[in-house]
Amino acid sequence: MLASLQAYWAERGCVVMQPYHTEVAAGTMNPATFLRCLGPNEWRTAYVEPVIRPTDGRYGENPFRFQHYYQLQVILKPTPDDVLDQYWGSLEALGIDLTRHDPRLVEDDWEQPTLGAWGLGWEVWLDGMEITQFTYFQQLGGMDVELVPAEITYGTERLAMFLQGKDSALELEWAPGITWGDVYRENERQFSAYNFEAASVDMLMRHFDGYEAECGRLLELGLPLPAYDQVLKCSHTFNLLDARGAVSVSERAAYIGRVRNLARNVARAYVESLDAHAAV
Amino acid sequence: MPTLLFEIGSEELPASAVVAGARQLPELVTAQLGVEPARVYAGPRRLAVRVEGLPERTPDEWAKGPPVALREQAAAGFSKRHGVSVDDLDERDGFLGVTVRGKPLAEVLPDRLDAILRALAFPKTMRWDASGLRYPRPVRWLLARLDEAAVEGFGTTTFGHRFIAGELDVPRADDYERLLREANVEPDAVERDRAVRAGLDAHGDWSDPLGKLAEVVHLVEWPRVQEGTFAERYLGLPERVVVTAMQSHQRYFPLGANRFAFVANGGDPETVREGNERVLTGRLEDATFTFERDVARGIDELVRNLASITFFAGAGSFADKTGRLVQLVDELGGGEAPREAARLAKADQAAELVREFPDLEGYIGAEYARLAGYPEAVAKAIEEQYLPDSASGALPETDAGKILAAAEKIDNLRVAFGLGHKPTGSRDPYGLRRAAIGLLRLATEGALPIDRTTAFPDPELRDFVEERLEGLLDVPVEFVRAARKSGVRDLGAVATLASFLGALDDDRLEPVHTVFTRASRIAGSQGNGSVNPSLLTEEAEVQLARAVESEEARIAREVEEGDFESAFEAAATLAPVVERFFDEVLVMAEDAAIRTNRLRLLSELRDAVGALGDFSEIPR
Repeated sequence: MLASLQAYWAERGCVVMQPYHTEVAAGTMNPATFLRCLGPNEWRTAYVEPVIRPTDGRYGENPFRFQHYYQLQVILKPTPDDVLDQYWGSLEALGIDLTRHDPRLVEDDWEQPTLGAWGLGWEVWLDGMEITQFTYFQQLGGMDVELVPAEITYGTERLAMFLQGKDSALELEWAPGITWGDVYRENERQFSAYNFEAASVDMLMRHFDGYEAECGRLLELGLPLPAYDQVLKCSHTFNLLDARGAVSVSERAAYIGRVRNLARNVARAYVESLDAHAAV
Repeated sequence: MPTLLFEIGSEELPASAVVAGARQLPELVTAQLGVEPARVYAGPRRLAVRVEGLPERTPDEWAKGPPVALREQAAAGFSKRHGVSVDDLDERDGFLGVTVRGKPLAEVLPDRLDAILRALAFPKTMRWDASGLRYPRPVRWLLARLDEAAVEGFGTTTFGHRFIAGELDVPRADDYERLLREANVEPDAVERDRAVRAGLDAHGDWSDPLGKLAEVVHLVEWPRVQEGTFAERYLGLPERVVVTAMQSHQRYFPLGANRFAFVANGGDPETVREGNERVLTGRLEDATFTFERDVARGIDELVRNLASITFFAGAGSFADKTGRLVQLVDELGGGEAPREAARLAKADQAAELVREFPDLEGYIGAEYARLAGYPEAVAKAIEEQYLPDSASGALPETDAGKILAAAEKIDNLRVAFGLGHKPTGSRDPYGLRRAAIGLLRLATEGALPIDRTTAFPDPELRDFVEERLEGLLDVPVEFVRAARKSGVRDLGAVATLASFLGALDDDRLEPVHTVFTRASRIAGSQGNGSVNPSLLTEEAEVQLARAVESEEARIAREVEEGDFESAFEAAATLAPVVERFFDEVLVMAEDAAIRTNRLRLLSELRDAVGALGDFSEIPR
């Protein structure tokens, strides 16, 4: 399924990439989306991204909720006029007969305050099941986008459940005789225990401060790309602290504000670095 | 008289945008084309109008030129600009001018239609390409037909059902509706609404507790109502959990027991039904899992987690909120049950199920309280804390519920006003007007005693709440205003007093009204000091002083007890005494001490009667 989708989008001019090396809570945070969608340059990409959401872990006991799962992310910048037809085509490429099913676009606007980002779009339903998030970005890092990108985020487990007719992600057949649960159940159990119980709060707090300082230092050196990695590390560290229940109400807003601030500074520095290149 | 068909084709609009667009089209079309549209079509992928009886040309207009006096200097330039000779100009009201022929409709249509498109306003819009046009979702086609003619710059095709039919040529304006129906699109929202309702009726007794039908009508172009079922084991969940799982995200309609109806837009019915059943099963499974985890944690454990959940920025956590509720409930005279209910009221804010389905707040907290063995009075109060949830919604049935519901609203109002979030104009994002009206209904219909000064020490907030009485009561506003300025402390009693005053016959009201207004006018702001009996020289003022002294206490006591009839009777007995006083006594005596003493007497008289309200608010 993943291979078919990647091949489909590669044929439509997308650079097929591999996951980013730092934990992200959504494929959107991968710099191949967040940074590349800024600035005046055209860009098309498709990649699978493992998303890490510590608070969503359920020790592998809930068939629908995990702290680690996969998104398949497609970015088309600028948005082609036939973007929806291209998307429907990708489902057909998976063998889904759209005339037998009931595909639907249901309003779902997207907003990510920690990234200073928002867009309008839909969740895509197939016979009532949400299989994709579709968003036209309008702002990223607090800046209006210059070319409006379309972001297509397939929920790969949901889509596979649909294709395989399974009621639980844990029962998905990953390879002949091997289920998703065989591969990840224990992983979910241990990481849920880590996220909720075992992670060292002191260490995480020190790391957050360290990453934050490093981000500022790297921006002063004119290195927005490594600086952005520090934003991702800050964001993930905060998510861990949150799952650990170590963040009080007032601290929470302050942490989010700090991450947003970093994201804005990096976005601005990145766009300026593009302008500088263009000027040369 | 040609007929125009104009359609804006887009990607799937939010239901709210479809409604907003359809509502604006008649006015915008009339403004641009001078004719109201005969039909407005509205659906997820299109907003369209059919306009009949359009004039062939725009009306002729008289273009005003220079004043006649400036003929020599300016007439030549003006005529040249309009492509006529100076001899063609005529005069009106001292000005030169020329009649400009109207233009053929086809010539002006492109600009007019474009103006309609750009004038449509929506709360949320986006850009999608370099054109910079803003619309709720990308516009993908524009169709215009003037009878059989094309309109320059606009297409002549539309699109049928997204997955069943493709692009369609529309040869004539008149063909539009028929061609779309043949292509599995019902463009008329009223017709789709009717079809959905009829389809639901065919499956039996359906319900729509969360009000999803209006949205569903705009989620489909070719509605087909189908029925599905789920495993009976999920009926073990609290009923509203099951209903919410069906309605909140999936927009299904409960049919009772384990049956539900949903509205499809196409596809093979069996395949689509199986898919939707699987999705609902997943949601119910998830709800069961979450419910059981919450129950395992227990309501007391949930309460302990409230300190880490923000209630409102600047107003602390839900634990802080809980503390305030407990105190408020005590102030409202609550006993054991309301106090316990207040302590547990916000527990479900820490429940996973409420994070999943916010609509369940209150209801599920009550369920968790029952499962933990708390008395039914406590559970019911938790369940009723958000009532009434609309201007005409039901009130809590239990006393504990009323007290908790009042505490909840008082706290929300105090917090919002304390942080400066007062409603302005039509904007009331925190629902403060609704909260105030709900509180007043608890005080009036619910007969819940609420001391208005202790509940709202902030006079601005107290006014905000009490002003809502003017709309709530079926009494002329002046009586409400009079009653608000009475000595009545209880919020509900203010309403009763307003109704009592409003129902008085004129000849009963008149004497007391006169006593108050005369005393009030003459006494002015004279308020200090008490009457000195030794300075009372005349018989009529001695009589009045004695009457005021005895009736003042009586009026105050009867008002306190809410017996406005008796209080008013007492006030009425003062009228003849007051009349004699004014006939026989000169208030503005030359002796300053006597004058001051008489003013003080009138001031006391005003205050005694004023316990029943400020009668000067009632115009005579």
